[in-house]
This record gives sequence, structure tokens and C-alpha cells, in this order.
Amino acid sequence: MPGGRVADAPGAGRTPKRGVMPGREQVMKEDATRGAGGRADARGERYDVIVIGGGHAGTEAAAAAARLCARTLLITPDLDRIGQMSCNPAIGGVAKGVVAREVDALGGVMGRATDASRIHFRMLNRSKGPAVWGPRAQCDRGLYPRAVRRVLDELPDLVLMQEMVSGLIMEGGRPRGVVTRGGQVVEGKVVVVTAGTFLRGKIHVGGEAGVDAGRAGEAPSLELAEALEAEGLELARFKTGTPPRVDGRTVDFSRVEVQESHPEDFRFSGYVREELPEQTVCWITWTGQELRDLIQDNLERSALYGGALSGRGPRYCPSIEDKIVRFPDNPRHQVFLEPEGLHTRELYVNGLSTSLPLEVQEAFLRTVPGLEEARITRMGYAIEYDYFPPHQLRHTLEVRAIPGLFFAGQINGTTGYEEAAGQGIVAGTNAGLKALGREPFILERDQAYLGVLVDDLVTRGVDEPYRLFTSRAEFRLLLRQDNAHERLGPLAEEIGLLTPEHREALHQRLKRRRRVLGWLRQELARPEEVNPRLERMDSSGLAEPVRWVELLRRPEVSVAELFAEGQTPFDPEGDTAAAVEVEIKYEGYVQRERERAERLREKAGFKLSEELPYMAFETISYESREKLLRVRPANLAQAGRIPGVSPADLQNLILEVRRWRKQRASEGRDEATTVVG
Amino acid sequence: MEVDTIVARSTAPGRGALAVLRVSGPATRQVLEKVAPELEVPPPDRRPTLTQLVDPTDGDAVDRGLVTFFAGPASYTGEDLAELSVHGGVLVTALMEEACRKAGARQAEPGEFTRRAYLNGKLDLVQAEAVADMVDAESPALHRAAVHQMDGGLSGRLAGLREALLEVEALLVHHIDFPEEDDPPVPASTIVDRAQEVEDRLGRLLATAPEGELLREGALAVLAGRPNTGKSSLYNALLGQQRAIVTPTPGTTRDALEARVQLGGFPFRLVDTAGLRDGADEVERMGIEVARRYLSGADVILLCVPVDQPWGAPEEAFLAEWAGRVPVVLVRSCSDRAGKGRGVGAGGHEGTAEARERIAGAATVSARSGEGLDELRSLLGELVFGGLVRMGTDAPVLTRRRQREGVERARDEVAAFGRALEGGVPAEAAVSHLRSAESALEELLGVISPEEILDQVFARFCIGK
Ligand SMILES: Cc1cc2nc3c(=O)[nH]c(=O)nc-3n(C[C@H](O)[C@H](O)[C@H](O)COP(=O)(O)OP(=O)(O)OC[C@H]3O[C@@H](n4cnc5c(N)ncnc54)[C@H](O)[C@@H]3O)c2cc1C
Ligand SMILES: Nc1nc2c(ncn2[C@@H]2O[C@H](COP(=O)(O)OP(=O)(O)OP(=O)(O)O)[C@@H](O)[C@H]2O)c(=O)[nH]1
Ligand SMILES: [Mg+2]
Repeated sequence: MPGGRVADAPGAGRTPKRGVMPGREQVMKEDATRGAGGRADARGERYDVIVIGGGHAGTEAAAAAARLCARTLLITPDLDRIGQMSCNPAIGGVAKGVVAREVDALGGVMGRATDASRIHFRMLNRSKGPAVWGPRAQCDRGLYPRAVRRVLDELPDLVLMQEMVSGLIMEGGRPRGVVTRGGQVVEGKVVVVTAGTFLRGKIHVGGEAGVDAGRAGEAPSLELAEALEAEGLELARFKTGTPPRVDGRTVDFSRVEVQESHPEDFRFSGYVREELPEQTVCWITWTGQELRDLIQDNLERSALYGGALSGRGPRYCPSIEDKIVRFPDNPRHQVFLEPEGLHTRELYVNGLSTSLPLEVQEAFLRTVPGLEEARITRMGYAIEYDYFPPHQLRHTLEVRAIPGLFFAGQINGTTGYEEAAGQGIVAGTNAGLKALGREPFILERDQAYLGVLVDDLVTRGVDEPYRLFTSRAEFRLLLRQDNAHERLGPLAEEIGLLTPEHREALHQRLKRRRRVLGWLRQELARPEEVNPRLERMDSSGLAEPVRWVELLRRPEVSVAELFAEGQTPFDPEGDTAAAVEVEIKYEGYVQRERERAERLREKAGFKLSEELPYMAFETISYESREKLLRVRPANLAQAGRIPGVSPADLQNLILEVRRWRKQRASEGRDEATTVVG
Repeated sequence: MEVDTIVARSTAPGRGALAVLRVSGPATRQVLEKVAPELEVPPPDRRPTLTQLVDPTDGDAVDRGLVTFFAGPASYTGEDLAELSVHGGVLVTALMEEACRKAGARQAEPGEFTRRAYLNGKLDLVQAEAVADMVDAESPALHRAAVHQMDGGLSGRLAGLREALLEVEALLVHHIDFPEEDDPPVPASTIVDRAQEVEDRLGRLLATAPEGELLREGALAVLAGRPNTGKSSLYNALLGQQRAIVTPTPGTTRDALEARVQLGGFPFRLVDTAGLRDGADEVERMGIEVARRYLSGADVILLCVPVDQPWGAPEEAFLAEWAGRVPVVLVRSCSDRAGKGRGVGAGGHEGTAEARERIAGAATVSARSGEGLDELRSLLGELVFGGLVRMGTDAPVLTRRRQREGVERARDEVAAFGRALEGGVPAEAAVSHLRSAESALEELLGVISPEEILDQVFARFCIGK
């Protein structure tokens, strides 16, 4: 069972001695010149939760722990870069947009920060059913981190500290605090590591030797990586890349297509209405034959293809080199020009991620319509970094081998802000709960994309940087952006992640949705009222009044058009309309998914103890035993998702577990008799 | 939990030139050391060695035989396994089994070797079923199907169909997950066409099920007709054995008799029944009831009418009742009683044109001389199993209800998918039919991973905004 009680932790409740390290304690990988003792936190405070790293995972983790009223410290090397967007300043998309809303539903920071900084918005998949709509916001690179900081500053239990962590203090196999480069020792009950791409990060441009860096212009985290490795954790390496930025004043906008922002008043946050900044536009252009030839001629100069980079990169966020090599016959590739902010003319060249040398980047940009004269402000580069293969984690994101240590974000092998934020909130919540001696919080695959994300990570592991897609979810129709708050809000409220303000907004929202559904099921649509609208939708007119739900079941009838003229208790463009459309129109399909989810839950009801001696289960194939041992699934359903574990293995597992339980029970009884006798 | 080591005779019980015993499990080497003390240690892998075989308690020789050792996991069961070839006497094999048990092996349960092979991932479920079919096979046709299925023919076909479904799913969902990419959505019509192709392939496979299942069970062929028309005589002739009582008295047969028999290379369950007539005594009436029950479950009916007996109202009535449901073969029996040169049907014995239309085939036979029996056998084989024959020997065949139901469910879901998509149901809802179809095939074979869909997507489309 994940998440032991903190009261059992050695050292808990005791006042640890500072300055002198007792024998069992050790300072791991601290800056040697400063000696083993170091300085204590100035005020000698002992935190419930220490979060290392102020990226998207770290800020959410710290905020969640602080919301639970755990005394929380966030340490990051540059407080001005909290919530910094390393790559494209955009939040959301298909599946990722749902995650951003799930994070908000759990009381997170991301939704509000996105609303407060978005300068361009699109509802992706608008032409498809609302179940797969994906809200995507282009953000102002400057406004976003400022909004994050503002939200964090609202939290009374959160303390921020500007420092680079160089090691952990361990005691009895558990972390008891951290040591910083500056020589401070800070004590905490549990530690959450969210170091992103900084662990032994190395940047590559062209054939040049790599430069150690966590992000362009920022120092990597070397000591922490070594410290964690020394604890016996398995490490591996991934890579990713980023495209060049160009000066907007050098772009010929007459040669590119405008991509307007969708006008609707969409908000990621269901709780707090942030003021939206002014909206702007993006642009689209295309690469052609000339660019393809250029890249093919220079392939060996790419860090990715020249062999300078060893780690694996993501297939879905490929460099332009990758696209040309894998799909040489595609005549053209799309390029999006996205503003970096309202107050800068710098543009992000989305679609041209590369690690070719600067001169090649300049040359290939000249072949792209509109960019012929474009001046590069920052060149594209590739980065490789350490991550910890996530099968080493529990569903709480606690490191299995080191109780009290949690990992979240890119260091677990994922990529993307939303994936990082989502893990941050899961890890931070569980860290807080653990420090407070409370039960863990785990989301299932049918409850949230966050459930899918975490379960995929710990069960299936990763072999390329992991990103969410709707295809990863078994229950697309249940996990929607329009119902994230309905799904997760009540859970968040129950464990204490919501402020009174959030709770009030949530209750309003739930009430509104109930009212609308009730209204649609009870009230009658009258022929004289709806026939003209039906006619416009090519739907046959009514002779008699019918309930609104009946009309909505017609495939050709959409909520937005049916209620375009008002007279309804809800906004035909809002979340409720989307929810109504899916849940009424595709009721049968939604029901099917619910039933499938139910069956999965039955299988999940067969719990698998952490203590199972898998290697002794000789009726299970050897490879499968090893996999089971590695993952230590919590239940049978999870065991079945481990790649390579066959249905036959599962059958045998059931038998072995029954036998093992019986044997344990009989041993237990024997002991009891001895005691009594 | 320890896995034990099992032993069993693999060849049929009874006398034979040779008998083979198999030993499988982690202690196989130890068993060999005890029962084949002269064999090299460790035993040579996959090389048959002639050696002395003994009883481990007293060291007495049991036989001299060939011992072949297969180290796991490259063996039939996936465990260490040994085959002992001994002389095929009843006593020798019993003693040899006993010797292995004394050396630490346990008597295997029926099917346990195959079960272990399945559990160790050496066979999938469909292949394991094929092994059972192969062992059970009495007819060359079932044997052929089983060999093919064990080679992975059916598994391969099912896996191919599943792959095709994943492909359709990838075409469908690629644009959900990657709406702003270089590639436009695949047109719905293309997807519907692809789904239709898969549905047709599933339908063709499913079409083999009725005959495939009969390959295992044997087709029910029921002899029927008025009393004293030579049914029991024909029954005996086809079996090659005097099983039914034959007398010149009408109403001899009361109870139904059933026997398994190969006809034209295919398995049948041949049933002799009481002759049908009105006004029989109570026992005979009960026999007629039994006959009717068999008729209603029959795969083919043999209606017996002696060549020297007129065609009449009872035959007409019989055809009217049964011919619409089951193929009825008109058997002109007792052909030796017909005059030389008198062809079948001479004298208007075949009844009305309507009756001729109704029958599925006709044969003229004599139980006494054996005339026409071979023709009748091949006629029956062709009538019941013709579809399989025409499909050729290497086409996969569904031989079990489990397989039929799985494929049927898959086909129905694919059909529902096509209808949904054409009816305007959006991809993200309609795809649930594809997933159900996939899982129906997976239940026959293995497990799904969403990763495979993504692999398909990435292989096909250039993704990378
Ligand atoms: C060059 C590049 C290209 C990328 N391209 C893409 C892309 O194309 N698509 C995509 O989806 N995502 C991309 N990303 C990923 C995206 O930026 C990350 O997934 C996301 O930011 C991860 O969030 P995080 O919180 O895990 O880490 P980060 O946002 O990296 O935050 C890590 C934080 O930890 C701090 N830190 C590190 N070490 C220490 C330490 N020892 N002590 C204290 N603090 C420390 C850092 O200062 C930083 O604040 C890219 C990232 C980079 C760098
Ligand atoms: N010459 C000749 N006589 C036959 C042949 N077949 C059956 N008979 C005779 O016909 C009589 C009836 O044969 P059965 O086989 O008992 O007929 P049945 O249809 O089983 O009769 P019931 O059981 O009474 O319904 C017997 O006297 C048989 O010897 C045949 O092929 N040639
Ligand atoms: Mg008879």
C-alpha cells in the first residue's frame, strides 16, 4: 500500500541535531569545500514539505502541499524564473488542455496563470464532437510566470527560497532535508524533486561539443543528479529540442496566412475569473522542397543526426531533421509563427525545432515564405538530460525505494508543461498528505487524464519522452475538458485542496449543471418555437411538443444552434452546453464506457500486496515475474497493463496469490496459537 | 510455490510397437539421472540416446529405450522436458511410468503438458485448442485443420485481423490527437471502406465456423423412412459392423442408435431410428418421438426408400416437413432387389417434381452388395463439408464455439462501427465499437496496448507541430 504513515518515519517528531551529523546520517553530495555541517536555515524552521525546483511541476507541488496546510518550502535557483516556459509559450491542446483544466479543478495554478496571460486562443477539434475539444492558449512569456508568482504569494503556508540544491540529507533511508550550494541545510519531513531538464543537462547546437546547461542561459544541476544516482536510483537519458526565435520586425507578413484567435470567452479556470489580456493573432507558413534539400545536405552537421546526442527524443515533437528523414516525400510542412508576448516582436517558429548549426538555421529560414529576411534572435538547440525511469515510483509519485522522496515532472521522463503540472499536483498533494500523516490520494484511469498519466508512467514506464494523447485513455468520452471540475472538484474539496472561494464557485457550477440537465429533461420544446430553428439545421419539424432532450438526441441538432437565440437557462457556448451535447447525444456510448470502466474496477478490486514474492511464483514465466517485481502492481488490472504480461500469466498470478494468502493466513494462525498457548 | 515435475504416456494406451513417455518440469534432469543412470550428465540436448532404463528403487532394468532431453525454455512445455521411447507393451509402459514416479515425478493430469505450454507462453489459446483437436482428431479433415491451426494459421489470421482493426482505429483517431498537423483527416468514406474490408474478412472466417465446429463434433446424419426400408441394414453397412438388429419385420428398431463414423474423410455421428408410421404400439410410438428429436437436430437426413417400393404420400409429407430445414438425401435402398438394367427412378419412383426439387441429393445403394455406398459417403461429405473442401486445406477454420463467438462479436462491432460512422456519430464515440471488436479478438489471443495505436499513427503521419 502506497503512502505509509509519517509517524513511523525514523526521526519524525524528534528534533534532529544540527551541525553535527550523527553516525546514521549522511550528507550526500554536498559542496565539499563547505564541510559536512553547513549552515542551518536561518530561522531553524523544519518544513513539512520541501519542493526542489520552481518549474511547472514544482510550483503545482508546492501550491498543493501548502493548500493542505502543510508547511512548505519551494527552493529554486532563480525566483524570477518561477513558472518559466522553457519552450513554446503555449498551454493546452488536445488531451493536454484537459489536463490543464484537471489541474485547475484540483485547485492548481496553471489554469489561472494561463487565463491571465493568454494572448491567443483556439479550441482545437472544434469541428469534431465536444468530447475531444482541446483548448489551447498562446501565452505571453512574461505574463505567465508573473501570474504564477501572484497565485503562489496568496498561500500563507508557502515559503520561497532562491538557492540551488546540491544534495539530500538522508536518515534511515529517508530524506530528512536538503543542502544547498550556498551551504544552507534545510530540514523537512518529505522532499519533492522537480528539477526538469536540469539534471546533467547538456545543450547542443550543430556539431559543436555540448555545453552544460539546464536551459539556454541557465546552469545545470550536476550535484543533485549525482546524489540521487548514489542512492541507487536508475537513471537514463532523453533529449528534446527547440526551434529558433525570430525578430517579428524582419518577417514579411504579407506572405503568410493569419490564424485568428477564437473569439469565445473561454476560461481554463472554473473557480477564479482572471482578467484576460488583449488578444492577438498567429501566422502560418510552409516549408518546401528547397528546405528539404538543404536539410538533407547538412544532416551530418545536426547534433541529433551527427551522433552527438545519444538519448531518445519524442516522435511527436520531432525536429525538422526528423520530419525530413522520416517523411522525405511530404512536399511541405506547416510552420506556425507564434508571438512570444504582447510587448515583444519576437516570434516562436513552431515546427522548425532543430539542432543544426546557426548558419544552416539561417539558410533554411530564408527558404520559408515570409521568413526570407528573418533575423534569428535565439537559435534553436537540442538538450539532453537525465531522467529517472518512472517504474521506480508508486502511484503517489513517491520513490518506492526511498519513502518520503517524491519525483514529479520532466525528471520522470515526460515532456510538456501540462504533464509536469499534473504530476506536480499529484506529488505535492501526496507529499503534503504524507507529511500530515493522512491517507494517499490516487486518481484512477477512468477519473482523470492525470490517472492515466501516472498509471502509464509507473506501470508501462517510458521509452521516449512521454506526452499525453487521447489515444492513451480508454475512456475518452468520460475524460473531457468540459467536465474536469465536475469529476475532480468534489474530490479536491474533500481532501482540502480548495479554498472557500474555489468551493463556492464549484458548488455554483455543479448546481448550474444539475439545473440545466433537469430543465432539458423536463421542459417541452414547442413546435412554433423550435420548428424554424430545426429547419435551419435540416431537421424535421415537430407536430407536437417534445422534451428538449429528445431534440438533442438528433445527430443533426447541435446545442449551440438550437439555443442560439437564448431562452435557456445556460450559455450555449459554455462548458455546460458541451457536456450536455456529449452526455445526451451520445448517452449510449457514454454508458458503454462507464460499463467498461466498471469492469476495469472489478479487476482492480483484486489487490496485490506489496510483499508478494514474485520471483518464487514459478508458474509465471520468468520474464513476467521480473516485470511484476519491477512494477509491483497494486492490483490485477494494473498487472494486466504491464507490457508483456500475458493473460496466462494473470491466471497463474491469481492462483499463486490465493495460495500465498492462504499460506500466510495459516502461518498467522499458527503464531497466534503459539502466543495463546 | 514450486512447480512439480510430471510424467505421462503420450501415446495411446494399449499394445503397440513403441510407446513414448514424457517427463516435464524442473526436476526432469534428476528423474533422468535416476531412471537412466547410464545417460551422460547433464543429458545431451535434443540428441536421442539409446540407454538402459531402470526402476530407481531396485535398479532393475525396465527396458532399453531412446531418451531425448529438451532443455527449457526451448521445449514443448517451455520447461525441461524428456521423451522416453520404450517398447509399446502395456506392462512396459506402466512400469516405466511407475519408475518415473518413484524418481520424483507426478502423474500428469489430462492435458497438463499442453496447459503448461500455454501458461509458459509457448502456445496461444487458439494453438492450445488445436493441440486438443489434433489429439482428438478422428477424421483427416479435422487433423488438417488442427495442424494448420497449431502452426499458428488461425492465430495468424486473427492477429492479422486485429492489426487491421488497429489500423482503422489509427486512421480514425490520428486527427483527434493531431488536428493541426500537416496531414488532413482521412476521409470518413475511406475509413468506412477499410472497416468494411475487415468486416468481410471476419465474415469469411466466420463462415467456416458451422462446418469447423462439425469437424470437431461430427455432423449428425440421421437415417429415416418408413419401417422396413433398410435403415438398420444401411447403418450397419456404413459402420462396417453389425450394430443394429435387422429383421424382415417392420418396426424392428425402437430406440435410436448412434455411432461415430468417417464418411468421405469427414466425421459423422450416424443415427439409426425407428421407422416412421402411424398407428404403432406405444413402445414404437416412443421410438418415433426419439427419431423426431434426432431429426430436428440433424445436419443431414438420409431418407430411405427401397427401389422396389413406390414413392408415396408419407415421403411427400416427410419432405414437406424436413427438407426446408435440413438437407435431405434420398437413398434408394436395396438396389440389388431391382431388376438388371432397371435404372433408379424407373417407374416414377422419385415422386413429384416438387419433391425432386426439395431433395439435396440422391443415391442408390445396396446394403447387401455394398453397391453405391462409396458414392453415398462422398455425397454426404460434400453436402455437409463442401464449403471447407472448396476453401482448400490451408485456410484457417474456426472449430470451436469460443472462437466463433469471439469472431462473431468482432464482426458485429465492426458492422456497428460502419453504421455509426455513416450515421454521423463522431469518431470519438464510434471508435468504441472498434475497441470492442479489438478486445473480442484479443480475448482469443492476447492483450492490447494503446501504445500500438500510437505506433501506427506515428508510422503513418508526419506529426510534429
Ligand atoms: C529546450 C527545451 C525544449 C523543450 N521542448 C518541448 C517541446 O517541444 N514540447 C513540449 O511539450 N515540451 C518541451 N519542453 C519541455 C517543457 O519545457 C517541460 O516539460 C516542462 O517545463 C517541465 O516542467 P518541470 O517542472 O518538470 O521542469 P522545468 O520547467 O524544467 O523546471 C525545473 C525547475 O527546477 C529548477 N531546478 C533544477 N535543478 C534544481 C536544483 N538542484 N535545485 C533547485 N532547483 C532546481 C530549475 O531552475 C527549474 O525552475 C522543452 C524543454 C526544453 C528545455
Ligand atoms: N436384398 C436386400 N435386402 C435388404 C437390404 N437392406 C435391407 N434388406 C432387408 O430388408 C428388411 C428390413 O431391413 P432393416 O434394415 O431392418 O429395415 P429398417 O428400415 O431398419 O426396419 P425398421 O427398423 O423396422 O424400421 C430385412 O429383411 C433386410 O434383410 C438390401 O440392401 N438388399
Ligand atoms: Mg431398423
